[in-house]
Amino acid sequence: MATKNVPVNDPMIDPATGELRVIAPGHTFKSVTEKISRIVLTSHTPLGWFGGFMVASSVAGILMVAVTWLFLKGTGIWAITQPVAWGFAIINFVWWIGIGHAGTLISAILLLFKQSWRNSINRFAEAMTLFAVVCAGMFPIIHTGRPWLAIYWLFPYPNTMNLWPQFRSPLMWDVFAVSTYAIISLVFWYVGLIPDLGTMRDRSQTRAGQYIYGIFSLGWRGSVRHWMRYESASLLLAGLATPLVLSVHTVISFDFAVAVLAGWHTTIFPPYFVAGAIYSGFAMVITLAVPIRKFYGLEDLITIRHIDNMAKVMLATGFIVAYGYGMEVFMAWYSASKWESFMMWNRMHGPMGWSYSVLIACNIVIPLCTLWFRKLRRNPLFMFLLSLVVNTGMWFERFVIVVTSLYRDYLPSSWGTYRATRWDYATFLGTLGLFTTLFLLFIRFLPMIPMSEIRIMLPQAKIKSEAEPLHEAGD
Amino acid sequence: MAHAPEHGHHARTLPANLGAPAFVNGWRRRALIVGAVFSALSLLLAVLDHSIDHLLRAWLLGFMICFGFAVGGMALLMVQYLTGGKWGLLVRRPLEAMSRTLPLVFLYFLPIGIFAKKLYLWAAISNPAEALKSGLISAAQAHAIAFKRPMLNLTTMWITTIACFAIWGFYMWRLNSLSLQRDSDTESPVHYWTQKFENLSGPGVVIYSLTLTAGVIYWVMSLDPTWYSSVYGLLFLVGQGYAALALVILTVLTLAKGEPFKTILRVTEQHDLGKLTFAFVMLNIYLAFSQFLIIWSGNLPEEIPWYLDRIRGGWGVVITLDFLFHWLVPFTLLLSRDLKRNRKRLIFVCQWMIFARCWDMFWLIEPNFPDARRNLHFSFGILQYAAVPVALLAFWSAYYFFQLQQRPLVAVNDPHLAEILEPDHAHA
Repeated sequence: MATKNVPVNDPMIDPATGELRVIAPGHTFKSVTEKISRIVLTSHTPLGWFGGFMVASSVAGILMVAVTWLFLKGTGIWAITQPVAWGFAIINFVWWIGIGHAGTLISAILLLFKQSWRNSINRFAEAMTLFAVVCAGMFPIIHTGRPWLAIYWLFPYPNTMNLWPQFRSPLMWDVFAVSTYAIISLVFWYVGLIPDLGTMRDRSQTRAGQYIYGIFSLGWRGSVRHWMRYESASLLLAGLATPLVLSVHTVISFDFAVAVLAGWHTTIFPPYFVAGAIYSGFAMVITLAVPIRKFYGLEDLITIRHIDNMAKVMLATGFIVAYGYGMEVFMAWYSASKWESFMMWNRMHGPMGWSYSVLIACNIVIPLCTLWFRKLRRNPLFMFLLSLVVNTGMWFERFVIVVTSLYRDYLPSSWGTYRATRWDYATFLGTLGLFTTLFLLFIRFLPMIPMSEIRIMLPQAKIKSEAEPLHEAGD
Repeated sequence: MAHAPEHGHHARTLPANLGAPAFVNGWRRRALIVGAVFSALSLLLAVLDHSIDHLLRAWLLGFMICFGFAVGGMALLMVQYLTGGKWGLLVRRPLEAMSRTLPLVFLYFLPIGIFAKKLYLWAAISNPAEALKSGLISAAQAHAIAFKRPMLNLTTMWITTIACFAIWGFYMWRLNSLSLQRDSDTESPVHYWTQKFENLSGPGVVIYSLTLTAGVIYWVMSLDPTWYSSVYGLLFLVGQGYAALALVILTVLTLAKGEPFKTILRVTEQHDLGKLTFAFVMLNIYLAFSQFLIIWSGNLPEEIPWYLDRIRGGWGVVITLDFLFHWLVPFTLLLSRDLKRNRKRLIFVCQWMIFARCWDMFWLIEPNFPDARRNLHFSFGILQYAAVPVALLAFWSAYYFFQLQQRPLVAVNDPHLAEILEPDHAHA
């Protein structure tokens, strides 16, 4: 509730707008640069980082074992058979791609909307996107069982039978959508890194660091011309990346929606897949941001304002997802179709009804009953736990869509069930390890917060009229 | 007293009089004249057509457009409170004025509710089984009407409509009264009002989405009781944003010929509003095309006739023009940065978008009826689609202009006021 007894003397609240500050007061250009670059340039890697890396890479090792066994034995080790011919492979693919969406939204759309709060989190959110796409992209590749042969068979060739490439198939569109998304995200991330790589080159104390950062900084000198080109490139890439936020998960929703299967064929799928992707993506950003800010003492750069804003985005997208679920249930009745009604009844009360209950609890009941409260939104520990709950719910959403629509279709004689094998679980778990490993490497070797973008947010960076006194500007 | 901002070395100063400029009176007078002329024309067309069927269909179109402005404007107002930003200061009072036209919009609904049996098949058919035997309706229609009877009946329709209008009425009252209170309250910290509006608008947007969906399913989707699409509510939600945003920009830009908007409207905010419009243009085609692609690919007998009714028999021309009007033209124009920063050209695009919304609504409504399904043809009745909506919109506009004159056009106790009075940046 609004109250007149608000803490007016809180230094984290801007008295002019009454909003939480994006970064804590008291920073200078120098302090920002030092604080962020020190994490990378230090020769004393924290023990905690090593601990995390060991655990993550061990879990990633499970992926290596699982994939090796898959290549040796074939896809029969997975539970992909009739009636659920896709199973974990497509569930995990969609889940990981969805997680990647927050990075592009933060980098591109929030840039176009002039949301300066994005500056602290866009670098690692974009890195998260790339690693999530890597994890997602693995599933279509390894689910062929023999990827080295798949390169031969999947290579588009001119054919008259419309087998491959079948341009009317959304699976084909997926190839283009996801690869475009990966390329643009990588380029956007790299372009954003260039000024900071220049700073790292200049501050690095080792010869190797100076060479490596120097090569990748592409001769950045920070001249006006460089900045002008950098800004233009950023805006152009943001313009290119913005439709991708919508298009990638829309195309993935088409993988299901253009089919005529009850539970898949519904027009709400495109917007609700996109909203769900952003929902899970922001949850993952929180999952990563909360421990990182605590571990590296970055609470003054990744502030409560960021947590609160991300929670608000989750509230909005979570509501769109809830609206989508609601419309599915309503239309199952309103369609007056017995197939639709049965699908929904079976989804809720059939043998796998428990998965629908988990989905509703994790995606709707828990987050949407708590995110309305400002105090909870601004509690990092709560938001961290909630982000885990939401991503569990989002995984179950894909499980419900894939499995409960397939295992009991139009013909009772073809009904069956679905039970994932230990190799399905191992592969999924392994991708979590791979993702975390890549992320830990990223925060160790690259500046996870864009120094240049934080510096321009400082009050010292604001252009002042001649009449106003100049303040200390750091280095 | 002139309202001077606290800081900003070269900042401009708000004029003493923040009320609507005198020329708004002229707008109101002209709107009333247009309304009277087109009302007479509608009656003449009804006489020539020997029927009020088309008058009612066109009335539904006019109602949906005015409803979109009033309720869509209110939703946009709540979204602005939630997102913040300087653009809110420009659009707030026009959006509040749009929301205060809700009572008139409810009056517009009354003929639809009263003559529902002439518009809705489910209302006209009391016994679907008998109607099927008599050959009045198809088996699919009989099944749908019988199955959906608990929802598609006049009592439930009236209850739902009144409940929706009551909820929107509550929000209209609360948002408008709090806004005035905020103007006069110089004691409370900035927080207090920011949080108060956020607390009201957060649930408000959720409730709006649900009530809007209920409304459009009853009023438009159920014109064909057999058809369904789960994205329909969202399509209207975005469509309302599309039209309401166009109208509010149109209002702001034309009001800027006089004070106080002449002082506070900067090119930076105008450009931002243009970009937001572009986003709505994209969202609108995104949802419309997704719906089309999914239904077209599925090619199911329950769904595809809805599109075939709107493509075949001459309707192909209308849908092609709809695509051009609704998306291609505004999309192409709004790509230009210069256009978004040019007042005259942006006014043209906004006018175009409102016309495109009406055109789209015509394509949505008319092919639901048996005489027009897959059969676009000329009659005096079809001309009602030009006459009745113009009349309804003209009277609605007169009331909107009247509401604009009731309050200062700028909210003075706003944290962004000082910022918006700063000089425009060289680039945005």
